[in-house]
Amino acid sequence: MVSRLPKIQSYWLMLIATVITISIVSASQLITQRISLLLDRQASELLAADLVLVSNHPLDKKYERQAKELGLQVAHTVSFRTAIFVDDSPQLVELKAVDSNYPLRGQLKNSREVTADQINVQQGPETGEIWLDPKLSQLIDSSIALGSSEFEAHWLLTYEPDRGGALFNLAPRILMNLDDLPSTGLIVPGSRVNYRLLFAGEQNQLASFIQWLKPQLSENEKIQDLENARPEMRRALDQTRKFFALAIVLTLVIAMVAIAITARYTASCEAPKVAMLRAFGISQKRLFKFYSWQLAKVWVIAAVIGIGIGWLSQYPLQWALDGWFGQALPQVWVIRPYLVAALVGFVSLAGFCLPFLFIVIQTPPMQVIRHVSSRQSLRRGLLLAGSAIITVFLVLMILMQDSMLAVMTLLLLLIVALVLPLIFALMIKSLLYSSKRNFWLRQYLLSRLNSSTRGALFVMSAFSLALLAILMIAVVKDDLLTSWRTQLPDDIPNYFLFNIPSDEVSEIERFFEQRQIRSSTAYPLVRTRLTHINGNIVNAIDFTDHRATHFATHTFNVSYAENLPDENKIEAGEWLQHNGEPQLSIEQGMANTLLLKIGDILTFSIGSETMEAPVTSIRSVLWENFRPNFYVITNRKLIADLPQTWLMSALIKSDQISDLKQLVSNHPSVTLLDITELMARIRGIVGRASIALEFFFIFALVSAIVVLLASIQTGKKERQMESALLRALSARTSQLYRVNVFEFSLMGLLIGLFAAIFASILGWIISAYFFNIDYHFSPAIWVYSLISATSILTIAGTLVSRKVYNISPMKILRT
Amino acid sequence: MTENNFCISLQDVTKSVDTPDGPLDVVQNISLNVDYREAIVIKGASGSGKTTLLGLMAGLDQISAGEIILLGESLSDRTEEQRSRIRAGKVGFVFQSFQLVQGATALQNVMLPLELGGMENVLEVANISLQQVGLESKKNTLVDHLSGGEQQRVSIARAFAVKPLILFADEPTGNLDAKTGRQVADIMFRLRDQSGTTLVLVTHESELAQRGDRQILIESGRLIDQS
Repeated sequence: MVSRLPKIQSYWLMLIATVITISIVSASQLITQRISLLLDRQASELLAADLVLVSNHPLDKKYERQAKELGLQVAHTVSFRTAIFVDDSPQLVELKAVDSNYPLRGQLKNSREVTADQINVQQGPETGEIWLDPKLSQLIDSSIALGSSEFEAHWLLTYEPDRGGALFNLAPRILMNLDDLPSTGLIVPGSRVNYRLLFAGEQNQLASFIQWLKPQLSENEKIQDLENARPEMRRALDQTRKFFALAIVLTLVIAMVAIAITARYTASCEAPKVAMLRAFGISQKRLFKFYSWQLAKVWVIAAVIGIGIGWLSQYPLQWALDGWFGQALPQVWVIRPYLVAALVGFVSLAGFCLPFLFIVIQTPPMQVIRHVSSRQSLRRGLLLAGSAIITVFLVLMILMQDSMLAVMTLLLLLIVALVLPLIFALMIKSLLYSSKRNFWLRQYLLSRLNSSTRGALFVMSAFSLALLAILMIAVVKDDLLTSWRTQLPDDIPNYFLFNIPSDEVSEIERFFEQRQIRSSTAYPLVRTRLTHINGNIVNAIDFTDHRATHFATHTFNVSYAENLPDENKIEAGEWLQHNGEPQLSIEQGMANTLLLKIGDILTFSIGSETMEAPVTSIRSVLWENFRPNFYVITNRKLIADLPQTWLMSALIKSDQISDLKQLVSNHPSVTLLDITELMARIRGIVGRASIALEFFFIFALVSAIVVLLASIQTGKKERQMESALLRALSARTSQLYRVNVFEFSLMGLLIGLFAAIFASILGWIISAYFFNIDYHFSPAIWVYSLISATSILTIAGTLVSRKVYNISPMKILRT
Repeated sequence: MTENNFCISLQDVTKSVDTPDGPLDVVQNISLNVDYREAIVIKGASGSGKTTLLGLMAGLDQISAGEIILLGESLSDRTEEQRSRIRAGKVGFVFQSFQLVQGATALQNVMLPLELGGMENVLEVANISLQQVGLESKKNTLVDHLSGGEQQRVSIARAFAVKPLILFADEPTGNLDAKTGRQVADIMFRLRDQSGTTLVLVTHESELAQRGDRQILIESGRLIDQS
């Protein structure tokens, strides 16, 4: 009977490795989903909802009905441009009417005056009142006519979560209650109105709603998500998600290495039994069936335990992160993470174990019984390597959302997996041949590492890969954090000053200089509208991209600059030559959207004037740097005589607010935009994301410890035999002790060295090509790698193999 | 030091091991003396306890009762470390499965016990030893790449390199074909004759057993016959 065949002796090691793999996948999938959901939700504050439906016509009631049926919260906003009178002059404003549910995510802030403390509020104005943009602070406590109704204005709207769009293109906001909107009579047929339906709820509710919603949408109805919200946030969130994916894969690689090592160990333990059974005439097929069944049992047990651990591990994380995130991690009730984890466990177990099993079953029994070690044949090598590649590829395909990242990761892993053992082998061989005068102790140690039967190269490569993965996570994590901190340094300007008349610029510059307030260069702003591209009217061009249509139908600011602004980069053409010839420098995104190229002639209208110039350069702009950035920059001569106001930014500390009051009273036409709150929010999200990055680092560390223990465990048998032989050859305990300590130290040193080299190279590749961030060479990585690998391996190895010293030399006679 | 004229002396030696059914005597009350320069062969069926007896005589394992005196030193109540010191430089081994250091050359394997014992002229002595077994040309070959017969010859060279007073050989031809086995045995006995080393040989091969000065037959852990 097949079931009476002996069970896998060392199956528990393999079981632990598989449990860890499944735990990592289920926990990381679950945690990633929960953190991702929280980050999305926090980012959702920038939308004031989880999902927004935007239209230029009133939205059908069916959307709201369906959303409510699915348990979603719903809010309405309506916004459009209108004019109010300020000192008898018309002032264009962005009027926004909101219902009592708004905002669904985040909150509003208001204050009594520009420099007063801000108050958090849960909903917008009551009926009969409006809140004013701080730019309209002079109208506070007055009655303001909007269409045919009058409203009281006692509050300034200081923070509005979903105030999207470029910071410098905003007309002042007025917020009112939606119930008051009909009485104004401002919306008439043909009005350009933006109707928004905001939704918020659990992930599964939103997913069902989106699935239902998409086929229902008409041409002018669009779903808005984070991609369309603040560009400042997009990159950081995108990079965080990519890092999560990378960290999970690297951590998983470590866990799979552990399975591979334990599979090899199990195969070596089973080889004598298999040889004996085959000698007794049991067929290969029957043995294969038996061991496959054993592996299936290992998988089922590991899946149950691993999924349980994965499920439980979210609670300590939740406890650890709750304080940092300021709110609880949202719950995710889905089965997918567990199914994915079980599948990854199955693929890993089958992919790494079956080839070893196949080889053991194929090995002639006499070779095993007589302890004759045959050299690895090419066929066996190809089988092991091929199955490992396919296994890793399958796991990457199961887990990764980014196919480019998956393929590149596989290639990098392959290169490392191929190069590492080769370099180790070459290094050991060259050291072996460096001195033949003495054998003990250095040459003896090297010969142990060089022995093919011992598989030290395999173990060293495996542990190097684990350490390398850890170091890479550390390198990329540090580079990401550095990159984010560089983008949002503490000393970037927090106030923007608009509408500075030309004749007040130098006075304001002097004002800042006297008070030692750091301010930027003053940029002139000329309000323009793009009318023609190469003589073709832009309204007649059929743009498929809605952003292109936006450029074609809206006004925007053109500025001029002598020098290329900071963090702008010329991608095509040459920066403006100040030779009197009209020239334009266009932002890359705008150029791509409008399909512009060098040499295209653009015509702008500025009031009754027109301006025409060729595109001479295309610039990339770092929009998330919170500095004045422009779509179009031209040379001074072209716009010097056109009507213009000026823009400046300044870093105003809390104790300088009184100076600000003085500035506002001296220059009443200047408007202030305070972005302190917005920056604090973005810094907060980046900070919380970095905590999550650290969490994955800990996961990777735990996995590496398992690889370490598995590596030491797998070599234990050989080490025992070597110690028994040395004992029989009259070695003293101190000599046995030295052999083991030095062997682990030497392995640790070599592993640390190669992990540091490859972590530096691969860290640079990943930082530069996947995350588009600057790579910073870190000597600390080398120090950590060498010291940690040497000390951890020496201490753990010596502790785990301490019983080797007490081994009876009789063991050598029993083999 | 215990005064004794024998190279090895065993008095009522018993070795017990724990089994699920209780203690089992794998060697029972064996008394035996081995003279210097004598070649003694221990014979017996598989599982009779002959290898255990060899291990006890060499001090590779602790006896449960009785006394063993090896080269004038009692092995009773000695730690593994102390027994190892008694063996150092005086005892050589040849094992059935060779037990060479894989990944090392033939020369390095022979150098190993010499260096462990802190001897001088290690390289010279190891070279001579390999010459004596006819493997000088393969001294720099990794033992992993040598045939079974060659590996056993390296093992013999390693054993004789320390100029042992006693050589313990456990089934030295057990893993070799008949022809190679004879060649290896010839080398071992030639070197033993030249050096006058005492030999304790475990084998189940009659032809090899005939070459000893005395044969001991073991059955179920008991000494049955001496001839």
